[in-house]
Amino acid sequence: MITLSLKEEPPVPLEAEALSPDVVATLRYDEICALPMFLGKRQCRVDDHFVVEGEASDELEIRGDAGRVKWIGRGMTRGRLRIVGNAGMHLGAYMKGGTIEVTGSAGDWAGAEMSGGLIRIGGNAGGQIGAAYRGSRTGMTDGTILIEGSAGLEVGMRMKRGTIAIKGSVKDFAGLEMKGGTLIVGGAELRTGAWMTRGTIVSLTRIPLLPTFAYSGTCNPTFLRLYARQLGTCGFSVPCDASAGAYLLYTGDTAVSDKGEILAWQPHAS
Amino acid sequence: MGGKVTCTLGEVKNRADLIIYWGGNPADCHPLHFSRYTLNAKGKHVPQGRKGRTMVLVDVRETPSVRFSDIFLQVRPGKDFEVVTTLRALLKNRPVDEARVAETGLTLEQLQNLVDRMKNARFGVLFFGMGLTMTRGKHMNSAAVLTLVAELNAFTKFVSMPMRGHGNVTGADVVMRWTTGFPFGVNLSRGYPRFNPGEFSTIDVLVRGDNDAALILGADPGATMPQPAIDHLARIPTIVLDPKLTHTSRLARVHITTATTGISAPGTAYRMDEIPLPLKPILKSPYPTDEEVIRRIYEKVKVKPAWSPAAYAKVPCA
Repeated sequence: MITLSLKEEPPVPLEAEALSPDVVATLRYDEICALPMFLGKRQCRVDDHFVVEGEASDELEIRGDAGRVKWIGRGMTRGRLRIVGNAGMHLGAYMKGGTIEVTGSAGDWAGAEMSGGLIRIGGNAGGQIGAAYRGSRTGMTDGTILIEGSAGLEVGMRMKRGTIAIKGSVKDFAGLEMKGGTLIVGGAELRTGAWMTRGTIVSLTRIPLLPTFAYSGTCNPTFLRLYARQLGTCGFSVPCDASAGAYLLYTGDTAVSDKGEILAWQPHAS
Repeated sequence: MGGKVTCTLGEVKNRADLIIYWGGNPADCHPLHFSRYTLNAKGKHVPQGRKGRTMVLVDVRETPSVRFSDIFLQVRPGKDFEVVTTLRALLKNRPVDEARVAETGLTLEQLQNLVDRMKNARFGVLFFGMGLTMTRGKHMNSAAVLTLVAELNAFTKFVSMPMRGHGNVTGADVVMRWTTGFPFGVNLSRGYPRFNPGEFSTIDVLVRGDNDAALILGADPGATMPQPAIDHLARIPTIVLDPKLTHTSRLARVHITTATTGISAPGTAYRMDEIPLPLKPILKSPYPTDEEVIRRIYEKVKVKPAWSPAAYAKVPCA
């Protein structure tokens, strides 16, 4: 395993797309130390900011408050990346495989446009999780993002496939222009599912909806039981017991389509 | 996705028969807008002037602009996105939830009436102001309006235009666009332009404290930005170029007084429809122009040796 300990919090954002298991897997100790990073406009080396231990491994551990370190694990395809502390923006953007685990919080754009792999965030996350970059048509196309805390604006914006599960609540515009995939949230603020054409948003509480969503009855979909079983192994509980309650199904967004669905859990009155 | 369907104010004057102002108060903030370009001007295809045009005003409160309007729609604060999305659904004869429409402060009949007017207009124009773009939803409110207008072009000619504020803000956007390809929120630190509002836009950078210096040209963020952003400007070396002392100059390390463009310095300003207009000075100023100050700073910077990784190896960064 390779361990990188942050010496001190960088004064301006540090762009570190080299910190990925794919890059370090075949490198010797001194080659890892010499990998390039960008502190503002200045190119510097990994060992300017990190104490490096270990070599040639696709298991990478980053220690310290890396809340200002951007692009960690960009485009990674394999291996394991563990961050003990916080992670900055664009964590695991464009990733295709492997696992990222963060014990603290992550910034905006975590898992943006990812197409495979797993990201687990122990704390809160910022906005635009699994989203499409500005001007891009499609967000995440596969993979899984699990967040223990809450998240910000535009979670799952334009996502096409894959799963995002968030224990806490999210801010406005969750599932904005969603085209597919599954977004599971503990709760949400306004405008959830705005302009969604397809896909499923599951909320574990009742949420305010746009006027362009139509109530379509209650249900306990079978596919959610599969999600509940799978996510249950990761510590996420998704209610699916018909004796405890039912999901209110809303379809929309009628401004663009009627194939998107929002499921809001409602326990039976007891 | 949207894109802006737009035109010049000359076209609005000569053609528009439906004029919608959304989240703005042009009677107070753009006092010549009505008489020169929109309501009262007689146009080639609107020879009757005011009688040939319908004006709709959408706002959260009654402003002095209300008495100029034919229809006033009072929407609840922060419900603009809901209203525009409902309009997009009604445009396609899709169902909407009447009870949730009523939560916006407007009834379904009012919105249906507006959609019918929009579809039946010969040439419609939607002007949107800060009441829309700076309230909850922000850029998505603008995106909603731009998309609605783009979709209306399936029925008739319809355009939109932001009601830009003081100074030459349109000019800043236009020049950024043809130099970098993006209108704002551009980062050049890696040697090429990258665009990501939320990450590189000024307020977000300042609030997070991501920059260690600031050069402020013809703006007064000290008066308008949120407190954490102002605190950060006071913490770092801030340089202000402005003809007058501003709130920002008071917290800056350096203030350079410059000549006022349009009064004592020549230049170009962009009208809100992105038409460049030359400015001719009528007075002489003892102060240098913004352009001259920037050029002199740039000449000094150019003399410094180029930064490179090799040079950096000898002098570690602080």
